[in-house]
Parts: sequence; structure tokens; C-alpha cells
Amino acid sequence: MTDKNPEKGYVALLGWSLNAIDAVDRFDRRYVVVAPPWAEDYCNQNGIPFVPWDFDRLNERSHELAHQLDEMGVDVAIPIFEETVEWAGAVNAVLLKNPRLLGQAMLFRDKSLMKRRAQLGGIRVGVFEEAHDRGDVIRFLKRVNQTLLKLDGDPNDPIHFKAFDKSGTAGHRVIRTPEDVDNIPDEEFPALLESHLDGWEFAVEAWIKNGKIQFLNISEYVTLGYSVFVPATPELEAHRDRITEEIEKLIEVFDIDFGFIHPEYFLTSDNKLYFGEVAYRPPGFNALELIERAYGFNGYQGLVLAFDPKTTQEELDAFFPKEIEDAKGHAGCFGVYPRRRVVSRLEIPEETANHPYFEFHELSDPREQKVAKRSAFGTHWGLAYFFGDNAHDLRDLLKKQEELDYYV
Amino acid sequence: MTVKDTSATDGQSGDAALARLSGTLDVAIERLERARPFAKARYQGPVLDVLGRIIAQPGGLGVVRQRAARMDAAGLFAGSDWDRPEVLMPQLVGGTLMSEDPAFQALEAANLARFLAVADGEARHDNLHQEGARHFLTQVLALNLKDIFGVPDEAARTLGARYDLKRKVLTHIADHVGLNDVLSVLVSEIWRLLEQRSVQVGVVKDMIAQIAIALNEKGTAPGSSRLGAERLVSALFGPTTASRDDPGIAVYLERLSVSDESGLSREAMGFARAMHDTGLVSDYHAAFLTWALEYGDRPLIPEALGLGSTGLDCWRHYRGLIENLVRRAVTPATPQAAYGLAMLLDRGILHHAPMVPALERQLALRIGGVARERIALGFGPAVSPETYLLAGVLRVLGQPLGVGQGANPTCQSARAIALWALNDPDYLLHLITQVAEFDTLLMQFEGTPINSADLPAGLAGTGPIDADPVSVLLVAHLDRIYAEMGRLCAGRPGDPHTWINPQFHGWWVSRDCAVAVDVATGKLADYDDFLRRFFAAYHPDYNGGRPMGHPQPAGIAVTDAQQTFVGWHAIAILRVAEDQSGRMRVYFYNPNNDSGQDWGDGVVVSTSGQGERYGEGSLEFEAFLSRVYLFHDEPLRSQFGQEIPEEVIRIARDQAISSWAADRQSG
Repeated sequence: MTDKNPEKGYVALLGWSLNAIDAVDRFDRRYVVVAPPWAEDYCNQNGIPFVPWDFDRLNERSHELAHQLDEMGVDVAIPIFEETVEWAGAVNAVLLKNPRLLGQAMLFRDKSLMKRRAQLGGIRVGVFEEAHDRGDVIRFLKRVNQTLLKLDGDPNDPIHFKAFDKSGTAGHRVIRTPEDVDNIPDEEFPALLESHLDGWEFAVEAWIKNGKIQFLNISEYVTLGYSVFVPATPELEAHRDRITEEIEKLIEVFDIDFGFIHPEYFLTSDNKLYFGEVAYRPPGFNALELIERAYGFNGYQGLVLAFDPKTTQEELDAFFPKEIEDAKGHAGCFGVYPRRRVVSRLEIPEETANHPYFEFHELSDPREQKVAKRSAFGTHWGLAYFFGDNAHDLRDLLKKQEELDYYV
Repeated sequence: MTVKDTSATDGQSGDAALARLSGTLDVAIERLERARPFAKARYQGPVLDVLGRIIAQPGGLGVVRQRAARMDAAGLFAGSDWDRPEVLMPQLVGGTLMSEDPAFQALEAANLARFLAVADGEARHDNLHQEGARHFLTQVLALNLKDIFGVPDEAARTLGARYDLKRKVLTHIADHVGLNDVLSVLVSEIWRLLEQRSVQVGVVKDMIAQIAIALNEKGTAPGSSRLGAERLVSALFGPTTASRDDPGIAVYLERLSVSDESGLSREAMGFARAMHDTGLVSDYHAAFLTWALEYGDRPLIPEALGLGSTGLDCWRHYRGLIENLVRRAVTPATPQAAYGLAMLLDRGILHHAPMVPALERQLALRIGGVARERIALGFGPAVSPETYLLAGVLRVLGQPLGVGQGANPTCQSARAIALWALNDPDYLLHLITQVAEFDTLLMQFEGTPINSADLPAGLAGTGPIDADPVSVLLVAHLDRIYAEMGRLCAGRPGDPHTWINPQFHGWWVSRDCAVAVDVATGKLADYDDFLRRFFAAYHPDYNGGRPMGHPQPAGIAVTDAQQTFVGWHAIAILRVAEDQSGRMRVYFYNPNNDSGQDWGDGVVVSTSGQGERYGEGSLEFEAFLSRVYLFHDEPLRSQFGQEIPEEVIRIARDQAISSWAADRQSG
């Protein structure tokens, strides 16, 4: 462990992530990991400070955890995964003596509430509604398409069916026809329905302290579920000022004083910015890793700075670089999924391996020979990493990967 | 960062690609370096991925070597076998370099680069010093010489890129380490193996052929290693004046036909010298012997075989038989039969009455059925199975201790064949006849007849294919009979070898048996008594000065160089005598192909230099005893050896307990 600064805050990481632990262990803040009991042996063997905890649905036990951490002298809790966001809110409400933090966390955990609040605050969102059964879904599908002046026989615009509180693409279905609706199992209700927004979808990562944005990154998706790169193309970056404004609105509307947010937006063809959703925890898809590759700073350590009440503005200024200017290049990653039904080994396509932008991959050899069909969006089999000077070339290269077989 | 954004199909110069990949490698190494020990595993894969690509580039290995120490310190090998370079084995490197998994290939290449950096003095490592690293690499090269020179064989060719990588890596190492040392290591290794006079010489001949090619292609600096190498090469490819330039058999025979008597005599003696020096028979030698059969003016065969007085005496008595043996057994496909024959004659076993009729019977033997198929399968169609078998018989009878088990778990059968060849050669020929003609072996266990054809297959299955012809013929049957005898001992207390060994081998195996462990629990039982009894049975100072009359089977606990127990093994004790420096040693036979083994804690089996005869292994008495777990002695014991003092057995006991018996002490 690096030497820790006792003058600075003592943070608790809620949720198990080796990447996060590795980064924080190298940082100068005291820390403790709060994770399920199965991690205990590992932490003991590797000298990782640990408090075992079962993160089931939030209940009164949150007070217990808060108390325990308070006794230890912890200053703030940092959620690592979607499921620990409300725990962090509950704990921080106690540690920072700010009861509103729990309510705020609940907002972030419910997509429907979140959108309603955003809308109330004057942020543009698409059409959305809660669905409690399949009938609601059918009606929504029809109504949305009527509004779009579709005639009978025209193909439907899709609608999106999302679980309230899952992260990433888990629980996300795209519904086009009534048959798609029939396939939804009962357990997935109630859920959030959204109209399809045709436009450019992108994500933002923002570190916030004292109600101000300390660093704002725009991540450009090449294809949702497959690839993303950082920093974005000049075309998207051209909208930075507007996007910054939108984030500031978010901060105001959700009353965010400190922390890290990961919102998603759509830029439609009529040049309007629509808010999709926002998460109050690190993004999936190794976005932090891409940011580190492009800029050189570690996002988890940035998180710690953002959450720690004892962080100073000087520290923040010294830690975060200047967006775009200080980037060393563009870093992207591609989520690999086998294109064939039966595969037996991994073989990086030659044109990829020889491309100057290809760095390395974290793909493993196939365990199962049969590939599951993607009904909802599934998880990929690993990532391939790219880095280069030119954003357009990188984008096109990432797009190209979708046609190549990595598993044969 | 100045990355060219050209696409992959544009011609990118090799240097630019290398520079770019080096940069990428550095990024990957940095991520690995930074990570905490518990988080390193994730970052190893990408480093290996880039390594694989960089090695494929010209100059790539140099880049890897420069970064080897840094990658090591960053934790590239953490959590793998490669984390302890000091216990790595050079024999495994060649296989890993051709692994199906590119990550392993890259890991091994990085490992070798690390060794290279230390050997070159470019880097330091806690557990590796410069000499050790150099030695390791030299051994790797020696064991894989054929992949640096010569043409790849079919198997290698089909592996394509994987094989190319192996060649690349080895060539790079060879360029740095130099081949002088490699040759001298290889040559010492070959001489050490030849000293043991193994019956199977195929592998050694291959190695010598590779040396010949290497000397030809690369030519190394003169020195004693070169002389040693040349002796080996000439013994095979040009031992005499008329064959020195390796002219081919046809040309050589022409030269013979115009030689005068003194020239022929010189040829004969040259062959004999080369053969007795190395134990190898050149094809020219075989051709000479066959040619000499028709040379009427005077007998050249005794000279060409380099016979001593006993051998010459046999020649005088049994010339007709010997000429027939040469005619039938010494062929271009079976030249080593000549050496077997020479040794057999000098042993004098022809003077033992049953041997001449037994060999005449062998000459007339026709092999049938399954036995014929197996020999044809194992040795090919160059000559008839009868010829292969006859040649094999001569070798086994001439070099009893040269019988090896090959890569098979059949040490007991190999041992039996060796002991019979040593002690009961006529019995061995009797067994061979049974199997050849009737595809079965008949033996008895305490009066109960056993017919091997009726028994299910044993450990050996259908028998070894990679062994000498006699073993190929007999081992499957012997194995089954051994197992059946074991079954017939079921229910008897103690180790079944007590009864099996005497019944299986012959009257000369002592009927009583001592075992160091309780068979059921595996723990030491009455170990002090066991040790004392061995001294009383085998040590001349304690058994009344008695030398061993017949070799005795024994069982040992084999340990590796770290003294860890590996398994039980069958050997034979041949004799107990003082070496040149007066130390009492046990000389024994080990059916493993290479008897020179390190059993840990300084217990290193010697195969020459301590009074060993060809094929014997030896250890100091106490060291040997420390590994024995079973031996035979006579039921009628004399009064000798009743009072054996504690200090005498202490050394053996301590060495046993610190190695194979470490966790076997009861209580």
C-alpha cells in the first residue's frame, strides 16, 4: 500500500472491483472495501482492508453499516456499482450528516423517477411512461407510432423497454412488434418505456466537486453495445458548450454537490439534445480506462478526490488535465462477440493485428463452444483496445471490427 | 506520439512497425508495473499479446530482450511456474515454444529473453546468476539443435508458424550464446550416455548427425570439445582410412576389393577401435564384416570385432556359428548387432553348454502371428522380423545392462530381461522361442502354471514399441504374468514382491525379503532393523566378507532433485565393492534409459569414474541404502551382522528421513 495521508479523507468503496481497489490502493487516501463476505479470504491474503457486507435491497441495516463505518472514522462512501448507489446514499446521509443524500440516491436508482425529475427541471427528455403489464406496452407502442403519423403497414418505430434499476444494457429490450411484447416475461414488470430517439447517442463522464464540474469527458459510441472512444470527434466536441450547460442543469436539478455522474444523451437531427438517463457511479465499458489511456489520469482516483470532503481545489486543479488539449491521442475499445454459432478458438483478424492503432486485447479462449443467441443485449467476450491520432480513422476502424470474426 | 495513420494494407516499413509495437509494449508493461500484486493477473495477457506480435517482426527479439528484466520486475511471470527461474527445466522449453496457446509461446520467449539478459550481463536477477543462465540456455540449445540446423521434418512443417517462432527464438539465442558451449555440452552429454552402453542408440545417433551438420554449416573454434565431437562423428561416418571421407558403401566396397592384406588389417583394427571407444557401429563397419565373410585368405572378423582372449577362444571353437550370426544379424539396418556379438563373445557365454544349441535354434526361428506384426510395426520392413530379433538378441546378450524400459511403466519387465541376459542367457532364449512360435509364455508360481495368453493385458497393454526387439517381444507377456503372480499373492501379509521376485526370476533370487514400510499404511516400520539387515546381507565388512553371488532385484523410492518422493522403482543390485578411493559402493542396474540421476541432497548416481562397468550406476553404500525400500536376503542367515552399531546406520536413516520418508514416520 502507498503511504496514506492521514490529513485527508478516509473513504469506503462499496462493491467489489479489482480495478477500483488497485487504483485506490496506489493513491494517498486511506480506504476500506465493503463487499460481500466471499471476498474476505482474498482481502486477507492480499492485505486489502475489508468490511464484509451483504448488499441486498436497502433496508434498515443501512444504518448499521453507516454506524460501523462512522466508528471506523470513514468520511464518505463511494458506490462502485449500480446496486450500491442507494447504500452509499444512505451511508453518506449519516457520515456527512446530510439526510437529503439518501433521497438523491433513490432518484438515481429509478429511471422513471429520474426522468420525471429531469423533465420537471426543464430538461428535455423523450416520451416515456411506466408499464405494469403487456397491455401498457402495446398501447404505448401504438400511441408513439400514431404520433409519428405512421400509416398501417409502415414498419413501427421501435420503443425501448428498460428495467428501472439495472445498469448498462441489462434488462433492455427493443420492441418493434406486438410479437416482441409477447416475449416479455412477467417478472420484468413494472418497467420503463421510452420512445426511440433517432440521433446521435453519446455519454458523458463528469467529476463534480462543490457543485462545479471539475472534468467533463464526452464518450462517443460508434455502435451501442460494441464500441466507444475518447475523446470524441471534432463534430461531437463542437457541442461541448451546450453539453456543459446541460450537465450544469443536471447538477442543479438533482442537487448534486459532489461525486461522479455518467449521463447519456441524444443529439437529434434537428439539433436538439435529449436527456436519456444518468448513473451516479463509474461507467461500464471500461470508459475510465480509456480516459486514462487518453489523458494519463486514473478515473477511480479522481472519484476519490471528488467524494472526499477534505479535498482542496488545488488538488483538483493539479489532478485533472485540460479536456482535449491535454489528450495524448484517441483511445477506443471494441467489445468482441462471436459471429458464428459454434466456435473453437480465438484468432485476431490479421488486418486488425497489423493495424497501427491496435494495441492489445483482453479476450480469452472460448470455454463454451456454442454461442448463446442475443435476445436482450448480452455481455461481450472481452475487449480489444485501440489508440491513435485521428478520431475519424479510429471510429471507422472500430466500425469495421463489427464485420470481422475474432472467434473461429 | 507520432503514429502514422496509414491502413494496414499500405506498406509499412519493418522499422516503423517495430517502433510502434515497442511503444505499445511499453504501454502494456507500464500498466502491469503499476498494478498492485493482487491486480496483476489482468495485465499480463495484453503484454503477452503484444510480445507475440513483436517477436514475429525482424529485430523484435532484441526489443524483447532489452525489456526482459523490466517485464520480470513488473510481474509478468507472477503466479506461473516461470516465477522461479531457478527450478525451470531446459527439456520443457522446446515443447512450450510450440504450444497451441500463443500466450505460452510468448511467456516462454520472454522467459528465455530474461535468461539471455542475465547471461549477457545486461541484467541481474536474485535467483539467477550469469553462469547458471548461460548453462541453462546452452542446454536448451543442445536439446533443440535440430531445430536450428537442418531441414524441418514433416511434423514440424505442418506446425507452420508455431514452428517458425521456435526456430526464430532459438536462433536468436544461439547468436548470442554462441554454439561452442552448446557443442561441448552436447558432446559431453552424448559421451555420458554412450558410457552406459545402452542397447538403443537411435537418439544418440540422431544427435551425432546433428553435430555433424552443425560442424559443417557453422564450423566452430578448435578446442577439445571439437575433438570430442569429431570422434563421435567419425565413429559413425568415417572411422577408418578408407572410409574417412564418407564415400558411400558402394565406393567403400570397391576400395576394399583392391586393398592388400595389411590395408585390410588396418581397416579391421580401425573399426574395432572406434567401436570399442564409443559403443557405436558405423555402417561401413557392418559392410566390412559382411564382406569379410567371403574373404578367404585369412579371417578378418576377429580383428574387426576387436576380440579379447576369451572372444578369440570362442571364435576358434565356434567359428561356423559365429559366421552364421554375422551373416544373418549384421546388416545395414542392424549394424549394432556387431557390437553385441563382440561383447557376447568376450563374455564367454558360448562356453556354457546350452548356449550354442540355443543360438542355433534362434538362427532357425520363424516368428509367427501377433509377435511378427509387432516387430514389423516397431522396426519397419528394411529387413525381416527374424533379422531384427536376432540382432536384438545379440545386443541384449552382449550388453545385458543396456536394456531400457523406454517411455513405458514396465521397469520390472525390463529388469527381468536384463537379469536373465546377465545370469541365465539360455533361459532368455527359451522364453523368446516360446513367444515367437506360440505367442505365449509359460511360467509357474509355486507350482501353479501360468499361461500369459490366457491373461488380460497388464500395464503395458500390447507392449512397448519404442524398445529393443527382445523387449517388444517379451514385455507384454512378462507384464501380464507379473500381474497374475500379484493376484495369486492376494491376502498374504506384506509386500507381494517377497514371493513374486523369486518365482519370477529364478532360484538365485533370495527367498526372504525385507520391506521398509508397512504396505497398508505406507509408514516406516522397524526401519532400524531393516537397515541393519541390509548391512548384514550386503556389506562385506558385516557379512563375513562375502561378495554377491547373483544380482538381486530390489525396490527403491525415487526422489527428484528437491528430495521429493516421485514413486517406487524396480532396480537390481549387482555387486558391492570399494571404489578407487576405498569407499564402499553399491553398483546397480536401473532400467531407466539414463541412469545418471540426481535424487537430491547430494545423492547423485554416478555412471562412470567410480569403478563402474558399462551400464552400471553406483552410489556410496549409505546413500544407496537411504533410498532402498525393499531387498532380498537368504532365509538361512549366519551369525554375521548381529551387532551393527548405531553410527553405522545413522547416515542412511537420516538421508531417508530427510527425503522420501519425510512424512512416513509413524506416531
